[in-house]
Amino acid sequence: MAVKLRVSGVGKDYLIPVIDSVSFDVEAGEFVCLLGPNGCGKTTLLRILGGLEPATRGAVLLDDRPVVAGAPSRRVGIVFQEDRLLPWMTLEQNVALVLKPLGRPAAERLAIARRYLGLAGLGGFETYHPGRVSGGMRQRAAIARALAIEPDLLLMDEPFGALDAQNRRIMQNEVRRIWKDTGRTILFVTHSIEEAAAIGTTLVLMSARPSRIRERITNDGRVARGELVDRLNTMIMEEVERQQGGGR
Amino acid sequence: MKSLDEWADRLHLPTLVVAAVVVTAWSLLSWRYGAYVLPAPGAVVRGLVEIVASGEIWRHTGASMYRILAGFGGAVAVAVLMGLAAFVSPRARGVVADALAVLNATSVFVWIVISIIWFGLSSWAPIFTTFMITLPVVASNIVEGVANVDRRLLEMGDVYRLDGYQKFVAIVIPSTLPYLVAGMKVGFGLALKVSVVAEIFGVTSGIGYIMNYSREILATHMVFVWALVMILVMMLVDKLIFDAVSRRLAAWR
Repeated sequence: MAVKLRVSGVGKDYLIPVIDSVSFDVEAGEFVCLLGPNGCGKTTLLRILGGLEPATRGAVLLDDRPVVAGAPSRRVGIVFQEDRLLPWMTLEQNVALVLKPLGRPAAERLAIARRYLGLAGLGGFETYHPGRVSGGMRQRAAIARALAIEPDLLLMDEPFGALDAQNRRIMQNEVRRIWKDTGRTILFVTHSIEEAAAIGTTLVLMSARPSRIRERITNDGRVARGELVDRLNTMIMEEVERQQGGGR
Repeated sequence: MKSLDEWADRLHLPTLVVAAVVVTAWSLLSWRYGAYVLPAPGAVVRGLVEIVASGEIWRHTGASMYRILAGFGGAVAVAVLMGLAAFVSPRARGVVADALAVLNATSVFVWIVISIIWFGLSSWAPIFTTFMITLPVVASNIVEGVANVDRRLLEMGDVYRLDGYQKFVAIVIPSTLPYLVAGMKVGFGLALKVSVVAEIFGVTSGIGYIMNYSREILATHMVFVWALVMILVMMLVDKLIFDAVSRRLAAWR
């Protein structure tokens, strides 16, 4: 399979080094879950991959072309922790809006928006405003928006963090289904090991700050889910202890 | 029983009771001190009917409204430009904020005196005064609105490569509009109150002029009549225009 995203030696310093050096490849069609202890720079790394922040070191290549901060690539869709829908627009207007820069005519934009809202399980709610639907539905709409631009890479930053356990489980299944239906390459940041083990095909575990890649695990079902979760739990506990005891 | 309560609320029944008490006290005081100091409620109502019948009400209210709309309209236009500047450049934001602080600290009277010196005895004096007084009110609201545009939404716009114009139309204008309307509501009330003061000097029409004239010819009841006209205009504009616009803007909530 072709390499979609190549992260080589990416690091980020604020006042202290947050990300030391991170390298990994993502193949086309992979569902990668990025895991790590709180504060290890998962969100920062995702923002670098999405071109929202510059890296201090290293390079990011998407389809062999460098990702430049400040000039986000239209081939990357991002789902944030918050839905970031425009509250004054209906769900379909929200999705149709991001198709404008792609130069599609208005009628086509609306048709595409409706199709992806349907795919995200929001058929019948197209003309609702975000304030009139539940948090889970808003996050579905945000996912529909990210998919509508037909991104080469879909970045998701703890998109279900604000949802209750029930909705979280439902949304995990939904994302997994959407991934199968669309064949998109997904990079999904989470701090929940159970979540990562439930949906990712590849799990990338980051170490404590200043972070590196501690482990890359293929989640193809050959290792039982329970055993995998236990192993990851142990590793994360070690990293958390290191981060708290390490004096950083 | 519940619907009776509802109707009582609708008609502002408790307010009407208080109003009845006030009018009664007013009548007694008027009877005690005489019509020059405090004209009777009946005389005021008769006066209002008179100016409506003679059409005088439209001449003076129209003249005042024309000046208010010119001065206030100009202020809204300039305030929007200031908000735009504040949005585009952080440096301009600082300058605008400082300028507004100075304008806010300037008394109405300063502008009235200066406008008489500059524009003499013409409509421009109340127009200019209204403009200078309402500008900081409307502009500070817009600038605050612009500063409160959710950065996370703008970043979302960046992710999906919306250009400056698309972000402005889809994100900045809708988030700033409620601030603009709130600023205009307060600004218009202020415009009405300020322009009539400026009309005392040098013009021969308008509610301010006619109130001062009525005082000079000892027609105290007409002072009350015109005050009533001002209050009615203010309440009508508030209910018919600003409340309706606010409701429309909040339709998605």
